[in-house]
Amino acid sequence: MNWKTLACSLLIAVPVFGSPMDDFKTANQLYDAGKFAEAAAYEKIEPKSAHVFYNLGNACFRQDKLGLAILNYEKARRLSPRDPDILANLKFAEQRLGVEDANKPPGAVQRFLRSIIESRTVNEWSGYELAGLWLTALAIGACIFLPKLRTGFLIIAVACFVGLAASALALGQQVINDHRSPQGIVIVTGAEARFAPLPESTVHFQLAEGTKVAIREDRGQWLLVERADGQQGWVKTGAVGRITLQ
Amino acid sequence: MRLWLTLAFLLAAVPVFGDVSVTASVDRNRIAFGETVALTISVQGAQNGGQPSVPKVDGLTFAGPSTQTTMSIVNGQMSQALGFTYQVTPTRTGEFTIPAIEVNVGDKSYLTAPIKLVVEKGAAQTDLGQTLFGRIRLASQQIYLGQVMPLEVLVFSRADVPLKSFGGFNCEADGLGFKFLQNLKSGTQVINGESFNVQVIQGAISPTRTGTMNFGPCVVKAQLAVPRNRQSRRWPFDDSIFDDMMSRVQLREVPVTIDATPVEVLPLPEEGRPADFAGAVGQWNLEVTAKPTEVAVGDPITLTIKVSGSGNIDTVPAPKLGSLDEFKTYDPTTKTTKDELNTTGERVMQQVLIAKSAEIKELPEVRLTYFDPVAKAYRTAVQPPIKLVVKARSGGESTIVSGAGSRLRPEEKLGQDIVYLKGDLGPVESRVSWPLFWTLNVTPVVALVGALGWKRRQDKLRGDIAYARRSRAARAARKLLAAAANFDDVQHALQSYLGDRLNIPASGITASVGEEHQLPADVAGIFQTCDAARFAGAQTDLATLKREVERVIDELENASL
Repeated sequence: MNWKTLACSLLIAVPVFGSPMDDFKTANQLYDAGKFAEAAAYEKIEPKSAHVFYNLGNACFRQDKLGLAILNYEKARRLSPRDPDILANLKFAEQRLGVEDANKPPGAVQRFLRSIIESRTVNEWSGYELAGLWLTALAIGACIFLPKLRTGFLIIAVACFVGLAASALALGQQVINDHRSPQGIVIVTGAEARFAPLPESTVHFQLAEGTKVAIREDRGQWLLVERADGQQGWVKTGAVGRITLQ
Repeated sequence: MRLWLTLAFLLAAVPVFGDVSVTASVDRNRIAFGETVALTISVQGAQNGGQPSVPKVDGLTFAGPSTQTTMSIVNGQMSQALGFTYQVTPTRTGEFTIPAIEVNVGDKSYLTAPIKLVVEKGAAQTDLGQTLFGRIRLASQQIYLGQVMPLEVLVFSRADVPLKSFGGFNCEADGLGFKFLQNLKSGTQVINGESFNVQVIQGAISPTRTGTMNFGPCVVKAQLAVPRNRQSRRWPFDDSIFDDMMSRVQLREVPVTIDATPVEVLPLPEEGRPADFAGAVGQWNLEVTAKPTEVAVGDPITLTIKVSGSGNIDTVPAPKLGSLDEFKTYDPTTKTTKDELNTTGERVMQQVLIAKSAEIKELPEVRLTYFDPVAKAYRTAVQPPIKLVVKARSGGESTIVSGAGSRLRPEEKLGQDIVYLKGDLGPVESRVSWPLFWTLNVTPVVALVGALGWKRRQDKLRGDIAYARRSRAARAARKLLAAAANFDDVQHALQSYLGDRLNIPASGITASVGEEHQLPADVAGIFQTCDAARFAGAQTDLATLKREVERVIDELENASL
């Protein structure tokens, strides 16, 4: 075996993997060519950024899979919560399906708090919380070791602690939601929420495509979901897509 | 000798009320309205006395007093005087009598003689005569009702008059409204071969009724810088002492009375008065513009009418527009600007009109009728109709606007769709590492607790000597023990430890310390062993004894003493 034969063998043996950027561009080209189903190749790109989820959402939207589009826009929003394009497309898709109001919390205070909490990523809240904690500790330390400047540092410590507490609460809320009560989007039309996780159980209510639900329990084939108005029911697992980034 | 002189001076200072006389005088008995006269009450033969009780006089106001005392010794004869000076200002013209004023000196009361004072209207009474005077200058002696006429009050001061500033200014003008600017203009003028500085106060008058009336007299309070002794001459018993103590010049306020000027206020003539005249007096220009002039039915047209010129802009009404039946109209907006004296002004009115039909060919003419006081005639400013091109709208209802000047547009239906793709991957954010997150969370808390503990321990070491000694006892003793080369050193190490541990002087510790502080028996044994080795030459192994001491120290460290 000469060196040319060896080189050819290695080339054949090594699988060809494109870079994420190449795959991303290829998927964009397919989208531009109107091949939206093929453009769903965005799903294979790893790691996924907010832009990948966003473009995937657009590809789903063009295929009239609005529930899936909303699911991907929601994922994109988790990674980039203040991106105006993501927010615009999410709102537009929700309006198309008529679920914009249904996906909002019922109370004005709840809506306000959620808008605050969701305006930052987990990483951003973590950074704020750590900064608040370190600054609070430093200010308390300065109060102890610099008694002449105690009043000033005490004010700083209180202010930092307030920031720390607020960001810790927001962070905690996001983490708890992700782990204990993950959210999902109904991705099929006419999903039925039943009183029990049985096909023969009575239908409690219908879930419109694109509706945001909280997943309370997972029993393999069935999920116990809760609507924004508090109504709960069992739906088939395939009817709801989880808003998780894994 | 000096003592006697001092004594004599002190004796002279003792109040003596021997030959006391009280007199009152004014520096002038005849003044012009606006001037101030000085009333002086002098008490000869006393240096102390009660303040005079000046009675109230209708038409006069009294300000003060300022008090002066003088004393002089001439040929051994001492004379003393007390003076009170009031500034008397009339509030009206007429003849006044300042009644007798009572002054208490010691336990006696003295009365002054009454004083006559005449306050005249508009008489020039300044001492400065022809070197400081004023004039009123009007553009015309005739003015029409509703007209605003500029005027100037000029104050002339010859070059040698030390005029510094003006302290006030007042004019009488019954039937005439007037207003003056705060800022003065200044210049020079030659009169009869002499150079005068001229201060010009600019103003304007506007009559409130017809007839012949006077503007003035005006009184300008000129402030002159005069040598102090010029004024003190009027002080009858002051000859030197205060002049030297004070500055050489002072500001003296001199009223300059300016004669009244007659003004004839004429009514607006009835003859030739147009029917649409609404009271505008002045010289006015009229400008009219319309935008756009090519519109579709329902589109707004903004008509702008601008009136500007000289006169009282407040008297100018909205110009008359011809028939607007073919237009839908909205309330006009008006913006008025004018100068400070209201002698010139500008008013801009904007009116939104909406053409109701395509038949409209022009906007109506605009007219403004006013009285021109210069030409003494009524004038009418006319702006001819403005041509319009109004096209019929192709379908749909016209939109109505609610604000002046805004443009109407048909309601536009914008398309809606999702925003296009992102062209790049964007940042890929890795989730926070929870172990690192918690480590970073715990670290400052631990550090803070540690720092707090260290700080408390340092504070305790500084404030609690027993604690400080006890803390360092074992470490210091072991150090000494390690370096000990003989039994003396070993005993010293043990003494040092016990002294620190028990917070007692180390040098006085002996074998008896064990009993006093209930220490283990080994302690006394070590002391005895050391003493035996040191003083009796007993054979003892030093290393063994050191280990024994170390054991005892360990034992005592774990014991509570």
